[in-house]
Amino acid sequence: MGRQVAIVSAGYSEHASKRSDVNMAELVSEAVEDCLKKVPSVGFEDIDAYVNGNMPAFEGSNLPELWMTDWMGARNKPLIRVTTGGTTGGTVAIAGYYTVTAGLPGIDTVLAIAFEQQSQGDTSVGLASVAYGELSVLNTLGMSYEHLTRLLSAGAAIGVASYQATNYMRKSKITEEDLARVVVQNRHNAAKTWWAHLKMPNLTIEEVLDTPYISYPLRYGMVCPASDGACAVLFTTEEKAKDMCDIPVYVNGVASVAHESAVLGYDGSGSGQIDPSEQLGAMRSSELAYSQAGISMPRKEIDYAEVYAPFPNQELMWVEKLGLFEETTAPQMYENGVTGLKGELPICCSGGVNSTNAIGASALERPAEAALQIMGKASNQVPKSVHTAIGHGWGGSLNLCTMLVMADEPQRKWR
Amino acid sequence: MSKLTQRKSLEYVKKDYVRTRTMPASWYLASYKYKYNLTHMQPFLEKLKNKKLIGLQCSGCNRVFFPPRLVCGKCLVKPDRWVDLRETGKVATYTVAYLKDTETGEILERPVVLVQQDGADTASMAQLSPEIDFKDTYIGMPIKVHWVENPTGGLMDIEYYDLVEDDAKDLDLRKE
Repeated sequence: MGRQVAIVSAGYSEHASKRSDVNMAELVSEAVEDCLKKVPSVGFEDIDAYVNGNMPAFEGSNLPELWMTDWMGARNKPLIRVTTGGTTGGTVAIAGYYTVTAGLPGIDTVLAIAFEQQSQGDTSVGLASVAYGELSVLNTLGMSYEHLTRLLSAGAAIGVASYQATNYMRKSKITEEDLARVVVQNRHNAAKTWWAHLKMPNLTIEEVLDTPYISYPLRYGMVCPASDGACAVLFTTEEKAKDMCDIPVYVNGVASVAHESAVLGYDGSGSGQIDPSEQLGAMRSSELAYSQAGISMPRKEIDYAEVYAPFPNQELMWVEKLGLFEETTAPQMYENGVTGLKGELPICCSGGVNSTNAIGASALERPAEAALQIMGKASNQVPKSVHTAIGHGWGGSLNLCTMLVMADEPQRKWR
Repeated sequence: MSKLTQRKSLEYVKKDYVRTRTMPASWYLASYKYKYNLTHMQPFLEKLKNKKLIGLQCSGCNRVFFPPRLVCGKCLVKPDRWVDLRETGKVATYTVAYLKDTETGEILERPVVLVQQDGADTASMAQLSPEIDFKDTYIGMPIKVHWVENPTGGLMDIEYYDLVEDDAKDLDLRKE
């Protein structure tokens, strides 16, 4: 049986649209440094293995994990790189969890690192091979890529999100003002987080609604930025965690599920979905993770949630699909302040992906921030005590959803 | 226990190098060949040449795939029953894309829709007729195939979808 895994520390680099003062390896070392600063008793020689990941082909260089080996202290140590598109960070976290829980001899402490320097690589080249779900479809049907421009003028991630937004808005009967309200909450939270990218403490709903459309119903002011940044999380066993820090955060459930193709156009996964906001994969992954963690009433038992929402409609959609609110009630919760910093269920108090999106690192920043909130070390700490928190990730052209459920008490299922 | 001495901060590096130097490079990825399977598509493409639509039905779950698939994702069997589909359909979901014309600089508003063909269980991406105002688009809008003049046997034979004029009262309910 697997071992109980704990998170003892998490660190970030500073995020900005262009980090021209550092290169990719130095960016990663910033996050590693910040992570190890929080646990003074741990040095590089205590780390036994490394998991590394970023969005494939976005960085513009081959095998970046070998380049930055010395910058993260991985010389002569086991190192793997995992890439799963937008969920890379979530998969890196899950790979770190598996490496520790496997119980290999001599491997107890694992550093999981995810990074992205989008200003350095060509994002559109990377997107052409990853985020356009249609490319695989065009290959299957034998159509040339010239048809892409005719068929898919709303491409990439926002093309996926705007379909979800149209259906979600119709289902829950909300207006663009409700979407803007989510953005305003996120940008205000980001202003209090030291590593966040878009800090706008005085943003109003009117200002968001004043910006032009990128793709109906999403406006320029609602969309996530493209950031440079890195994130590092330290996983270890239950026994070692107690020596390393005061409040270890125990990982009680992990899951990653993909159910249907993100752009439903040609039905990539064969599930036959025609409603993009149905998201059975998110429901299934949360179900699996909650059952592992022994959570039967997510609405009552979870104190804090970090969801992967580059676009505001997704944040509303995910919190419902992950079982935190009833269907179509999430917009009211944002209006009533339930999800705010001082609310009953704070959501994305770091500003979320909506304010900081270093694509490869984003999904690792979600569980990292949730863990820091449990430890009480977060930059924008919620006033109430957090016992159980979730970190969610979404991405890829196949709606892959990753989930980590964390708590300040271990789940005794393995004993 | 404390190993603080062994870990050096990067601060001293930053003092010396304020900026990195940027080196331009390019990575050519845009040209590659791909192969695709024709066996399950052949009857479909031949029918398209005659301006007819057919879908592939799975004998396990009775779902109709349009365009056809080689394997049903739910039952993991090969769908083997061809069914005729009507030319009408409805908008499953839509968005509006804003494209800048490279010559005039004018911003074009183009609705991009996913269409569920009547009789099919899946949706496919398509375009609406340029005559339809993008503001009038809604989920559940009834539409009809508009063929190109000379079909060549490919999905591009469906040029765009026309609006079906219908004054049935349940359509007004759908708009709300």
